[in-house]
Amino acid sequence: MLSFIIRRTLSMLATFIVVSIVIFLMMHSIPGGPFDGYDMPLPDNIKARLMADLGLDKPLWEQYLRYMWGVFRLDFGVPYQSPGETVMGLIAHAWVPSLVLGGLGVLIGAPLGILLGMAAALKRNSWIDYVASTIATLGLTIPVFVISTLLILVFAVWLKWTPASGWGEPRRWILPIAAYAAVPMATYARYARSAMLDTLNKPFVTVLRAKGLSERRIVFQHVLRNSAIPMITIFLPMFVGIATGSIFVEKIFRVPGLGAYFVSSIEKRDYPLEMALMLLISALFCISYLVSDILYALLNPRIRLGGKDQ
Amino acid sequence: MTDLATAPPALASPGAARRRSPLYLAWRRFAANRAALGAGVVLAVIILMAIFAPLVSKTGPNDQAFLTTSLAFPSAEHWFGVDDLGRDFFTRIVYGARVSLGIGLSAALFSLLLGMPLGALAGYLGGRFDWVIMRIIELFSVVPPLLAALLLATLTRGGVWAIVLISGLFGWVNVCLLVRAQVKSFREKEFIMAARALGASPWHIVWRHLLPNSVSPVIVGFVLAIPLAMMLEASLSFLGIGVQPPTPSWGQMINVGMNFMYFYWHMAVFPTAALALTILSASLLGDGLRDALDPTLKGR
Repeated sequence: MLSFIIRRTLSMLATFIVVSIVIFLMMHSIPGGPFDGYDMPLPDNIKARLMADLGLDKPLWEQYLRYMWGVFRLDFGVPYQSPGETVMGLIAHAWVPSLVLGGLGVLIGAPLGILLGMAAALKRNSWIDYVASTIATLGLTIPVFVISTLLILVFAVWLKWTPASGWGEPRRWILPIAAYAAVPMATYARYARSAMLDTLNKPFVTVLRAKGLSERRIVFQHVLRNSAIPMITIFLPMFVGIATGSIFVEKIFRVPGLGAYFVSSIEKRDYPLEMALMLLISALFCISYLVSDILYALLNPRIRLGGKDQ
Repeated sequence: MTDLATAPPALASPGAARRRSPLYLAWRRFAANRAALGAGVVLAVIILMAIFAPLVSKTGPNDQAFLTTSLAFPSAEHWFGVDDLGRDFFTRIVYGARVSLGIGLSAALFSLLLGMPLGALAGYLGGRFDWVIMRIIELFSVVPPLLAALLLATLTRGGVWAIVLISGLFGWVNVCLLVRAQVKSFREKEFIMAARALGASPWHIVWRHLLPNSVSPVIVGFVLAIPLAMMLEASLSFLGIGVQPPTPSWGQMINVGMNFMYFYWHMAVFPTAALALTILSASLLGDGLRDALDPTLKGR
C-alpha cells in the first residue's frame, strides 16, 4: 500500500511539473505583454523598466525557475491587475463565493442524483426510471451556460420568483446553486443507477432473497454498501471541478468568484495570477485523483487483500 | 426434420444469411431505441436545414435588411423575430447550425485522425510507446480542458479553424482510449498470431486486421466527439474568444441575447434552444449507436 502511494505521488508530481511547463510556455507565447493593453500607451522606456522590475526581461527558463521556486515556498507573487495584494490573498477572497455556491451545488445535487438513480434502479422501466434517465441525459449533455440562461428566463424573467443574479443575501444563491447542481445530479443519477443494477444482479443478492431477508434490508444493508465504492471515488474530482467555480455560471449570475479571473488574467497577460490559478486547479485535480485511488484501494477489500498477497 | 429438404436452397440464397449480419443486428438494436432514433431524425432535419440554408431563408445571415424593425418579436414574417442589428433571427439560427455542425464534424474527424493511429499503435505495440501515450493522456486528464482551450484560443485569436484544432486536441483522448482497448483485446487472438507467424509487419497487422475490427469503437468515438466539439465551440464563442462576429454562432448569440433577455426574450430563447436541441440529439444518437454497435460498452 505504501509503495503504491509513493509511486502514485511521484508520478503525480512529474505530471504536475510537465503541466506547469506546458502552461507557462503557452501563456508566454500569447503575443503582447501586461503593459500593452492600456488605452493610454506607456512610453517605451517606462515599459522596459516595469518589465525589468517584474523580471519579465529575463529569458523564459529563468522566469520559469524563479516562479516555481516561489511556488515551492508558497509565494505566488503579486497579481498585475491588483498590485495591492498577493495572488494568494486574491484567490483566498475570490474563492469564497465559488466554494460556497459550487460546494452547495455538489452537496445538494449529488444526494438528489443518488436517490434518483436508486429509485430508477429499484423500479426499473417505470416512470421514475424514465424521469431519471431524462434528467441524467439532459444534465450531462446540455452546456451549463444554456442551463443557467434557461433558469434565469424561467424563474427570474417569467415567473419572477427569484432575483436573477448577484451575490449577497441567500435568496440570490438559489439559481446559481441550481445551475451548479445539474451536473453532479445527472452524473450521480447515472452512476447510482448502473452501480445498483450491477449489484442487484449479483448472485449474493439472490442468496439474500432466498434467505428471506426483507427487500429493504437487502437494499440498504447490502446492495447500497456494495455499490457505493464507485460513487465515493468520483466524488472528489467532481467536487474539485465544480467548487473551483464555473466561468459561465459566475459570468451569467454575476457572482464575484474565481471564474472571472480565469478570463481576465489571460486577457490582461497577468502571468502570476494565471499561472497560480492553473496550477491550483491542476494540483487539486492531481490530489483528488490520488486520494480517490487510495480510497478505492482502501474501500475495496478485494484489491486490498490482493496487495497483501504480493 | 422437414427443414432438411429446404436447407440447400436456403443456403444457396445469400439473402437469408445476410439478414443475420452483425450490422443488421446492430441496426435492429438501434431501431429499438426510440430516443436514439428520434434524435437521429431531429439531427437529420437540422443537418438538412444547415445544408440548404439559402433555400430555407431569403436573406443572408449578415444582411441587415430589417433595420427599421430591429428587435421585433417573432411573427409570421420573422419566425424567430429580428435581432438587435436588424437581421432576420431565424436566418441567423439556421446559418448558426452550419457553423456549429461544421465545427463539430471536422473536429470529430480531426480527433479520429489523431486518436485512431495512436490508440491502435499503443494497443498493439504496448510497452514503452503505450506508456508514453498513457502519460500524455494523464496530462490531459489533469488540465481542465476549458481553461487550456481558453489559453489556446487566445493564442490563436479564435476563428473557426483554430476551434476545430483545439477541440480535436482534446477530443482525440476518448477515441484513442476506445481504439486502444479494442486493439488490446484483439492482439492475442489466433488470427493475429497467424498473421504474425506468416511474417506480416506490424503496420500490416494494425492496418489490415486490427483497425477493421475496431470499426465500432471508431464510429462511437467519432459520433461522441461531435457534441463535445460543438459544446466547446459554443462555450468559447459565448466567452467571445471563439467564432468571431459577424459569422453566426449560437454561443455568441446566447451571449448577446443575455443582455436583451429581460425585454426581448426571443434573443436568448432561440439560440439556447437550438444549441440544446442539437447537442442533445447528437449525444442521444451517439449513445444509441454505442449501445447498438457494442452492447458491452453500455452504461460507460
